[in-house]
Amino acid sequence: MTQVMINAITLGSIYTLFALGMSLTWGSIGILNFAHGSIFMFSAYTAHLVLESVSLPLIPTLFVGIAAGAVMSLLVQVLAFQPILRRNKDPQRAELQILIAGIGIAGVPLALAQKGTNNNPFGLGGTSFDIETYVFAGFRISNIQIIIILVGLVLGLGMTMWLRRSGTGLALRGIGVDAEVASLMGVNRKVLSLGTMTFAGALAGLAGTMLTLYLGALAPESGDTFMLKAFAAIILGGVGSMMGAMIGSYIIAITETIMLTYTSGTWVEAVSFAVIFLVLLVRPQGILGRKVVRRT
Amino acid sequence: MTEWYEGHIVLLLAIFTSLLMAYSVQFPIRVGVFTFSSIGAYAIGGYTTAVLTTTYNWSQYPAVAVGMLLAGLASFALGLLLQQLDGLYLGMATIAFDLIIVVIVTNWQLTGGATGMYGVLGEVPMTTLIGITVVVTVILAFTERGRMGRRITVVNVDPELAASMGVNVRNYRYAAFVVSGLLGALAGGLNTLIRTTIAPVDVGFPLVVTALTMIIVGGARSWLGAAIGAVIFTWLPSVLQFISTWQAVIYGIIVALAAIWLPGGIVGTVTTAHRRRESKRRAKVVLPAEPDGVEHIAAVDNIADLTAEGERV
Repeated sequence: MTQVMINAITLGSIYTLFALGMSLTWGSIGILNFAHGSIFMFSAYTAHLVLESVSLPLIPTLFVGIAAGAVMSLLVQVLAFQPILRRNKDPQRAELQILIAGIGIAGVPLALAQKGTNNNPFGLGGTSFDIETYVFAGFRISNIQIIIILVGLVLGLGMTMWLRRSGTGLALRGIGVDAEVASLMGVNRKVLSLGTMTFAGALAGLAGTMLTLYLGALAPESGDTFMLKAFAAIILGGVGSMMGAMIGSYIIAITETIMLTYTSGTWVEAVSFAVIFLVLLVRPQGILGRKVVRRT
Repeated sequence: MTEWYEGHIVLLLAIFTSLLMAYSVQFPIRVGVFTFSSIGAYAIGGYTTAVLTTTYNWSQYPAVAVGMLLAGLASFALGLLLQQLDGLYLGMATIAFDLIIVVIVTNWQLTGGATGMYGVLGEVPMTTLIGITVVVTVILAFTERGRMGRRITVVNVDPELAASMGVNVRNYRYAAFVVSGLLGALAGGLNTLIRTTIAPVDVGFPLVVTALTMIIVGGARSWLGAAIGAVIFTWLPSVLQFISTWQAVIYGIIVALAAIWLPGGIVGTVTTAHRRRESKRRAKVVLPAEPDGVEHIAAVDNIADLTAEGERV
């Protein structure tokens, strides 16, 4: 049981890193980035390509992933989402166009990675970092698992505090509540949007690279799967709440791991979809969400 | 010509079923209900047809009809269940519904598990398919005109205003769910008969993306947009075959560019441009040579033009 929980918490930390970025952009600047899963996967793929020519230790490998994610996310914002926001004054319409553009963009890195790997999973074998497994009192934990769990917890709690306490956090929450009033109060939406998207991309890159190190290999298609799970986590926790995204991620990861251990077949896939459906039905604002969901 | 027709018959048949599917996603969006449940209905229709014709030896059209009935009921139930939700949240909940159906058919013995159903032997002649599509198109075109068209537009643009004018908004929203369920199941059933197979991979998230793409690129406001989108995105993969390896990349770029540059889709962009030119031309003809009194009327005429344009946003 302890072993199952350790694996669940590792998975939950990956979901957390993934969900934090999405929840931040969705809850503050109102961008639901459907290319997030693709960015997550392609960052790991970039690290894979870099490692093919040069062997790097752990930290630089992670930085390659982080940088790739940040750059891609920034480009998506500058080249696609900003022009859409400029052209569509009606926020609801802009929301839909951003969703579609994200879906379109998501297909591009996926196709490139599939072409580059001939539809095979890719790994980060070129790193000089060695995975070691420690055994304590009957359960096993590897060094990369410890790193993932720590990074997930630190970033999750850190971002919760940052969004609550810092000036920038206040500005972001302000945009989330009322973008127009926030700009009247001197919040520079454009700069903040760029910063938020870059940061979200960096988190996705970090998550993708660490996950690939942990699993040993990542299939190009897994970006979409992770995105749908992160959605479930965000909706469960409450859109825009960092703490919520973190709690949602761990709940989903633990439920999935338990399902996987004790049931047969592929029912585990249904967990996140059922969570999305039930939460929206019973408590649309999520566990910690305060924002009133738009209703008819 | 005949040779070309023979060679492309499957593709041509697929255009019509894609069009029915595109309608099933488009209709609720026109009513202002952001639901993707018709993809789930497509799966229900397709699998019901497959199971009834292969396992129970039903003939094909009753099987499709039962599929439509089941999907219509499921959509209505979903509409009742999710009546509180709107916007992206409704979209997410209905996508979750679609994906739950995929998980169910993957794990169910009756539906053939992950490999799906094979050998669904049916015969859908081109004339029947064209007939069905034309009937559906005419009905949908009718809902875009006259009283019905105006009611649907106002339910979409301003539900409160619609309610105050005596339009029962809730009934229109239920109707949107049911119509999209029926159309989705019809498309799913017919497409399964044409392709003789259906598998979980055919009805998952990628199908949601394809349907949405067709409507956004073509235009979400009229049946013509769905038709243009269905033709483009059913043909495009075969046209792009000569650059096969880059096909998916170009597909993605086209979708993104359409979302950025053609917010109303192809139809929306053409209509807006046409209307702008029309009103400019009329202003030019009337304005210059007339005496003062008439100029005033021309200005009024112009305002009338602008409001006519505004109404259809």
